[in-house]
Amino acid sequence: MCCHGLPVGGSPSSPGCFVPLIQKTGGLLLTAERGGRMNVGTAHSEVNPNTRVMNSRGIWLSYVLAIGLLHVVLLSIPFGMYIFLHTVKGTPFETPDQGKARLLTHWEQMDYGVQFTASRKFLTITPIVLYFLTSFYTKYDQIHFILNTVSLMSVLIPKLPQLHGVRIFGINKY
Amino acid sequence: MLRVPSRIGKRTHVRGCRRQAPAYHLILEGILILWIIRLLFSKTYKLQERSDLTVKEELIEEWQPEPLVPPVPKDHPALNYNIVSGPPSHKIVVNGKECINFASFNFLGLLDNPRVKAAALASLKKYGVGTCGPRGFYGTFDVHLDLEDRLAKFMKTEEAIIYSYGFATIASAIPAYSKRGDIVFVDRAACFAIQKGLQASRSDIKLFKHNDMADLERLLKEQEIEDQKNPRKARVTRRFIVVEGLYMNTGTICPLPELVKLKYKYKARIFLEESLSFGVLGEHGRGVTEHYGINIDDIDLISANMENALASIGGFCCGRSFVIDHQRLSGQGYCFSASLPPLLAAAAIEALNIMEENPGIFAVLKEKCRQIHKALQGISGLKVVGESFSPAFHLQLEESTGSREQDVRLLQEIVDQCMNKNIALTQARYLEKEEKCLPPPSIRVVVTVEQTEEELVRAASTIKEVAQVVLL
Repeated sequence: MCCHGLPVGGSPSSPGCFVPLIQKTGGLLLTAERGGRMNVGTAHSEVNPNTRVMNSRGIWLSYVLAIGLLHVVLLSIPFGMYIFLHTVKGTPFETPDQGKARLLTHWEQMDYGVQFTASRKFLTITPIVLYFLTSFYTKYDQIHFILNTVSLMSVLIPKLPQLHGVRIFGINKY
Repeated sequence: MLRVPSRIGKRTHVRGCRRQAPAYHLILEGILILWIIRLLFSKTYKLQERSDLTVKEELIEEWQPEPLVPPVPKDHPALNYNIVSGPPSHKIVVNGKECINFASFNFLGLLDNPRVKAAALASLKKYGVGTCGPRGFYGTFDVHLDLEDRLAKFMKTEEAIIYSYGFATIASAIPAYSKRGDIVFVDRAACFAIQKGLQASRSDIKLFKHNDMADLERLLKEQEIEDQKNPRKARVTRRFIVVEGLYMNTGTICPLPELVKLKYKYKARIFLEESLSFGVLGEHGRGVTEHYGINIDDIDLISANMENALASIGGFCCGRSFVIDHQRLSGQGYCFSASLPPLLAAAAIEALNIMEENPGIFAVLKEKCRQIHKALQGISGLKVVGESFSPAFHLQLEESTGSREQDVRLLQEIVDQCMNKNIALTQARYLEKEEKCLPPPSIRVVVTVEQTEEELVRAASTIKEVAQVVLL
């Protein structure tokens, strides 16, 4: 864990571990929306819970821990995240909105399509940080550089707001 | 050979970051760091269609608010209603006058049946009046499970599900299965409940001409061509055909055998709405499927309300287990409404008992329908619309005067004069602005088993006389 260079641990409320880092960069712009309110197992008025998954308590910490565990197989992480965020569409449960999100990926569903929310920023920055660490680790070797850069781009580019809902060559459209 | 100085050896084992990173890499890292900083400082915004901002402003300027209460003419039917005292059974007391009831959908006369009333009273004494809860929240009583079981056995399907309001039955069933992006082929004469269900489903609706199988086949073929152009989209699109057994708006029967053939040819699911045909058609009253001799498993979902032949309240859907089970969580009217009052469920069970014990009443009803259908032929100015065996049929003006209001007024005159002669009739009413395909104004005549032959003859002759006077 220490090789990540991040202070991990502390309270179960996940974003706590990131607070020092954010305050260092001087932008308290990851706002208070994170950390909240998907009450598990209770009734809620959220039409599509998929949009708030990434805001729920503990999800950021779980994400970091999962990355740490998969740390051994480094390249699988961006590949796995790409499948879950940008390939799989719709919801695994029925929603009361008559299937509005049937053709949308999880990334497009997050926060109902609002761009640059806290979770979206977090999920964009983490691959970049991972990339820095990986390239540091592989001693800037050329082949590794090409592979890492390609995987980083494949994870970063679908997150651009210009590519919201875009399906290149009709792949994954329906 | 000079010994390699240890310092140099040490240097090569130092951590890799000391080795100079290539220039392109540093540039890329710089770009990424700048990107992170931009990200942290960017505001959240919602994606909007940027194209029609000016159009929106124009629309806002042009908009004029409508009055909360629009002006309504004084003779609007909702403002001048007839008052019924007592039950709407065979003889109905309207505005103090006792008339023969040709307006209520009491096809089997079970509304006033003493056995049904006794069962309801016993249930009232046992359970009280209401259930005070939806089915999932202590609102499921043994009578509900009993009624569902009995209905499933009666219709010879695997399972049935009860709704507490007849209109909500089909309006909840359709959106439970058909979602955005799915296609529904529906008859133009579909009743208002079906129309609301389709509206709630947000699916693509394709209307075909009433009972016109050629038109339906044309639409299905067009859809097939579209599917071949885009097979990936076709694979995730569900197709449904929604029809009624006996149409409320026209009194005609749907051609179910051809529909089943089309269903298997074009791979669509059939939803059959049997509100008027349940307890009416077929040898044992099982509806259109029994009337045509079609295997009930060919129909994916049968939906009916219990407010007509069964003389109760509410509705049910029946079909295969895995189809009906889906509605237990996805049927909005099932999950989010209080369940059927137990006394009405007990009344429905007793009504089913009576239907099973006397299967002869269906033939009697059919005969009476034929009789009055024949008797009403040949009235000058009015034409009979509906099948000869349909207990609810319409009398429409042969020639419309040109304006709907005038037609409605003429028909109302006929109805009022018939009421003076102790025949209670009604006009078929619609929410004129809300209907998709508004049927022409008509008088709806309802036949029940309780009407005697003399009464039928008298009614037919009364209508004939009145029509001659009013329509000259």
